[in-house]
Amino acid sequence: MSDNDTKKPTGDSQTPPKGAPSETREAPGSTPKHPPAGAKLDTPPAAHSSPTAPPPPPAAKPAGPPPPKNPGFVTCTIDGKEVVVKPGTNMVEAARMVGSDIPYFCYHPRLSIAANCRMCMVEASNAPKLVPACQTPLAEGQVIKTNTLKVKEQQRAVMEFLLLNHPVDCSICDQAGECKLQDYYMRYDYRPSRLEGGKVMKNKRKVLGPRVVLDQERCIICSRCVRFMNEIPKEPQLGIFGRGSHEVIDTFPGSELNSNYSLNTVDICPVGALLNRDFRFRARAWFLSAAPSVCTGCSRGCNIYADFMGQETYRYRPRENEAINKSWMCDQGRMSYKYLNLGRVLSAVVGRQQGAGTARPEVARKEAIKAAAKALAEVKGMVAVLASPLASNEDLLATLTFAKGTLGAREVYVGGRPQGDADHYLMTADKNPNRKGLELIAAGLGLALKPFEELVKAIDGGKVKALYAVGTEVPGNVETFAQAAAKLDVFVAQAMNESPLTAQATVLLPASTHVEYDGSFVQVDGIIQRFRKAYPSKGDAVAHWALAAELTRELGGTAAWTTSREAFRELGKQVAELAQFDWDKASPPDREKPGINPLPTAADGRPPGYREFGAPRVRGL
Amino acid sequence: MSTFALDRVTAQFPEAVAERYLDRTGGSWAVIHAEHLPKVAAFLKNELDFKLFTSIDAVDRLHLAENDPRFEVVYFIYSLSRHEHVRLKVRVSEAHPEVPTLVPVFKGADWWERFVWDFYGIRFTGHPDLRRVLLYEEFQGHPLRKDYALRDRQPLIPERPIKDIFRGPGTSGVS
Amino acid sequence: MADTHKPASPPNPEAPNPDIDAYAHEAELEAHLQTKRMYVNMGPSHPAMHGTVRMKVELEGENIASSDCEIGFLHRGFQKSCENVTWTQCLPYTDRLNYVSAMMNNFGFLNAVEKLIGLEIPERAQYIRVIGSELHRIHDHLTCVGATGMELGGFAPFLFAVEARELVMDRVAELTGARLTTNFGRIGGMNRDLPEGWIEKVHKSLDKVMELVTEIDGLLTRNRIFVDRTKDTGVISAEDAIDYGWTGPCLRACGVNYDVRKAKPYWVYDRFDFDVPVGEKGDNYDRYLMRIEELKQSERILRQALKQIPAGPIILDDWRIALPPKPEVYGTIEGVISHFKLVMEGIQVPAGEVYDCTEAANGELGWYMVSDGSGRPYKVHVRAPGYPILSAVPSIIKGKMLADLIPTFDTINMIGGEVEQ
Repeated sequence: MSDNDTKKPTGDSQTPPKGAPSETREAPGSTPKHPPAGAKLDTPPAAHSSPTAPPPPPAAKPAGPPPPKNPGFVTCTIDGKEVVVKPGTNMVEAARMVGSDIPYFCYHPRLSIAANCRMCMVEASNAPKLVPACQTPLAEGQVIKTNTLKVKEQQRAVMEFLLLNHPVDCSICDQAGECKLQDYYMRYDYRPSRLEGGKVMKNKRKVLGPRVVLDQERCIICSRCVRFMNEIPKEPQLGIFGRGSHEVIDTFPGSELNSNYSLNTVDICPVGALLNRDFRFRARAWFLSAAPSVCTGCSRGCNIYADFMGQETYRYRPRENEAINKSWMCDQGRMSYKYLNLGRVLSAVVGRQQGAGTARPEVARKEAIKAAAKALAEVKGMVAVLASPLASNEDLLATLTFAKGTLGAREVYVGGRPQGDADHYLMTADKNPNRKGLELIAAGLGLALKPFEELVKAIDGGKVKALYAVGTEVPGNVETFAQAAAKLDVFVAQAMNESPLTAQATVLLPASTHVEYDGSFVQVDGIIQRFRKAYPSKGDAVAHWALAAELTRELGGTAAWTTSREAFRELGKQVAELAQFDWDKASPPDREKPGINPLPTAADGRPPGYREFGAPRVRGL
Repeated sequence: MSTFALDRVTAQFPEAVAERYLDRTGGSWAVIHAEHLPKVAAFLKNELDFKLFTSIDAVDRLHLAENDPRFEVVYFIYSLSRHEHVRLKVRVSEAHPEVPTLVPVFKGADWWERFVWDFYGIRFTGHPDLRRVLLYEEFQGHPLRKDYALRDRQPLIPERPIKDIFRGPGTSGVS
Repeated sequence: MADTHKPASPPNPEAPNPDIDAYAHEAELEAHLQTKRMYVNMGPSHPAMHGTVRMKVELEGENIASSDCEIGFLHRGFQKSCENVTWTQCLPYTDRLNYVSAMMNNFGFLNAVEKLIGLEIPERAQYIRVIGSELHRIHDHLTCVGATGMELGGFAPFLFAVEARELVMDRVAELTGARLTTNFGRIGGMNRDLPEGWIEKVHKSLDKVMELVTEIDGLLTRNRIFVDRTKDTGVISAEDAIDYGWTGPCLRACGVNYDVRKAKPYWVYDRFDFDVPVGEKGDNYDRYLMRIEELKQSERILRQALKQIPAGPIILDDWRIALPPKPEVYGTIEGVISHFKLVMEGIQVPAGEVYDCTEAANGELGWYMVSDGSGRPYKVHVRAPGYPILSAVPSIIKGKMLADLIPTFDTINMIGGEVEQ
């Protein structure tokens, strides 16, 4: 071991920077009364009455804690740097503030403290042994050291124990590339195995519930998942069973992990033990790029990362937002990404589908726009407008401006997905991400909102002969509405996904999903949130706002906006709530995901995620 | 490694040296203000016997933590009598990427400065013939800048008219 | 002249018919050559322009009035490529710098990275690096000498040189698995040890190679044609050579004793007894002689190194630097994690910068590297020895005969791969 130490990279044996205060240095004003913190707390104050001690102040002071240096706060020293924190702050968070990373597995800032992984042990001046940094609140004047030899030995020993029974799975493990065990092994252990004999065998594919599968061999029993289920959704479905080497995570007999928040356990699992059954074996983590986005599963608007490769979204992961979803999101929302990939309308179509299974003539979008413009021009003033609250603010601003200004619409029928169930935590009953936005924009533009049922009645009654639909999601039965729509003379639909309704469109225009352009939603509490483009639109699709711009221009109007930013800035002025929103500033930073990242955005001339279309290549990463 | 040369430079031209430091491997560096570079180089060559001109290159610090000013031009000059390199740095901003040329002092600076101009777009004022050296004149951008995409494509360029080629003496020559 | 082609004038039956009369244009044959300057393109595809270099030569009669060297036909974006792959993945790119002595580039690059990390590689690995470097120095010089002989009209020396080169290549292939682009060595040591029985084979091959070198020596060194073409041509003074930044045999031919192996010994070069030949005039002949002599010195180093090489590990035993042994990778989680991280993320080189150089076949091969602490280099500058040497060519052939350009271009041994990166 010592042989290796002499050859290690110089990275971790640096001396503290020169300017950093040493542990014996204190603020000049307090020197006589406050001896160096380390000395003070290691020995009881009584010891100072030894003959060599400086005579005046210590003896005069009664035994007891000295007054805090910053009243109301705790002041202490971590790795030679002074840090001032609120009382009760633990060492992990405090150390992070001064740039010292304390490694941990079981600690999670939003969960209760278990302190069972022992990875975060550090040296504290007032304790003879190492203390777990996650569990120990800081004390006034304490001196913490996170990189001494003792601490390193502890970290190495913990890593060795954790890896002792860990299966040799990296090559088939979904977590590889974003795994804490891997990161910490390279940083804190980097030693060969000393294990002789076999590893403990456990159940490698224990299906815990409909969405989660557990590899008990990979588990390090940090209990994050158990604590999460107990504390966040408050559905205690997981427990730790057995003792010692036989300890496993499992569900209680006769029950399963079917909570709507079960997939969060996969996120917080520091290793590859808990796995997402939907994502499992579908992509290697290091090929995925992440775009900060917003979940469209319900009106809560949980902040997410959309992980993508090429022009496919592979998964959603929650993105931290203290105001809305903390670090979590629900399983239903997480699974709602599938419509981005499957059943998309990829090219424009003119003419209705004649019978089931028959092909429809696909035309260039430009041709379809011309056909739509021609059809709409004939029925100007008589067109009903159906707007989906799935569309973004930019989409709605542009399409409704078009509907009002060019088509002469006075009212808008509200489409969108049907209501669903709400749950006790994040999920709302309204499954549309932007209903609030639609309401605001319609009010701002002076359009009346009408429920969907009235549209059905109007079509059945023959009052509506022409329909312009922004999004073809409908809150009722799609089949029945499709039959009604078959009676329309003109039905121009801008749609993301194929449905029985799109088959009835006289002109069908392909629209982008929210991961394919920049835009914003207004969530249920009225918070406006930006989402960012992950990859260019599939097929011939463009965003709703761009389709509206093309239609406007085709019908002789002016639509100056060429980006969603311009659309928002130009049209958003009419809506009081949107006018104050700083579109650029609200854009979430394009933070890289943890672990191995592909090249920085567009470093190879393409958007992130575009390693190669189709099969990913390892080279060029 | 010896800091002899840079100590002498600092003593001689205190106004020229912006910063001195040792890199992690012990190499001694001096950051020189651009306008004083030729006189520092001449002093190194003529007084301190740093005559073997090794190389010039630049670093685009765009993605580094400390990236203002954006470019660093680095100079390496070797002394055959002292057997050591002297390492000089000049920092230039993105807005005014200009450094005085060293061609009058060292002939070897000629092509290296063209190289830096070619790949980083840093101009060397006073250079007698500052053309691109490895790339062609119609090349757009400077490819070693960090914001030049790895797989960026260049536009096709029209074929150049060949003016400088003449057939040999004889009747078919252009006269 | 335009008058004779006037279509209006009727054919003169008295005028000589050029189709049947050889003396039809006799007057033209006796005309004086035009005295205007002539531009000749040497290259980019010209047998004497190694690689693809274009020299635009302006001729005044047969003398070179001026010349412009156009390079870059072989530019492959070495630096940009390196900045986008891990440190280890840069290694194959370095092969393609000086492709005639790939191992020297490999080891020079590795040496600089190791210095940046702060590694001391095992002694045996240092010996293997010396052996590989000197083998490839022989390889490089043989190529240069053989090509010089051939381009000055002697085909035999080239054949001898190629035969000797082939022997070296066979040994290199046994050592590294490749004849030309070796991709040999890894950060922290070597990726494989000397093959069994290889040392004896090298000794035998060296015997044969030196025999062939003696043949070449005999064919060229006192050859009247060769000496006339090379002596006092392509002369550069020591001051100019230093000013241009020449290094290696070309600088030593001017009488400057500078060899990185002696000036700042790296690896175990200080343990060998060898001489650095120094020339006098700095002309093509001296540069040729330098190479012949260095072939002999390289042989000396090689034989000493092969005798002295100690047993021991060939790479550091640190799993943050060197890939774990394969049984550990397949059998233990520690090994597989380390392998995965080293391959996918690369060796984490601490942030910093370094300039380091080694003596390659053509001179000082310098590397300036910047690391931002990640697995990929932030900047890899290579100071190819051929670059400053080539930059001086227009000035040293100015006013000289066009025919002098050929031996000059040969003896500076310009390698397109390293000059044009």
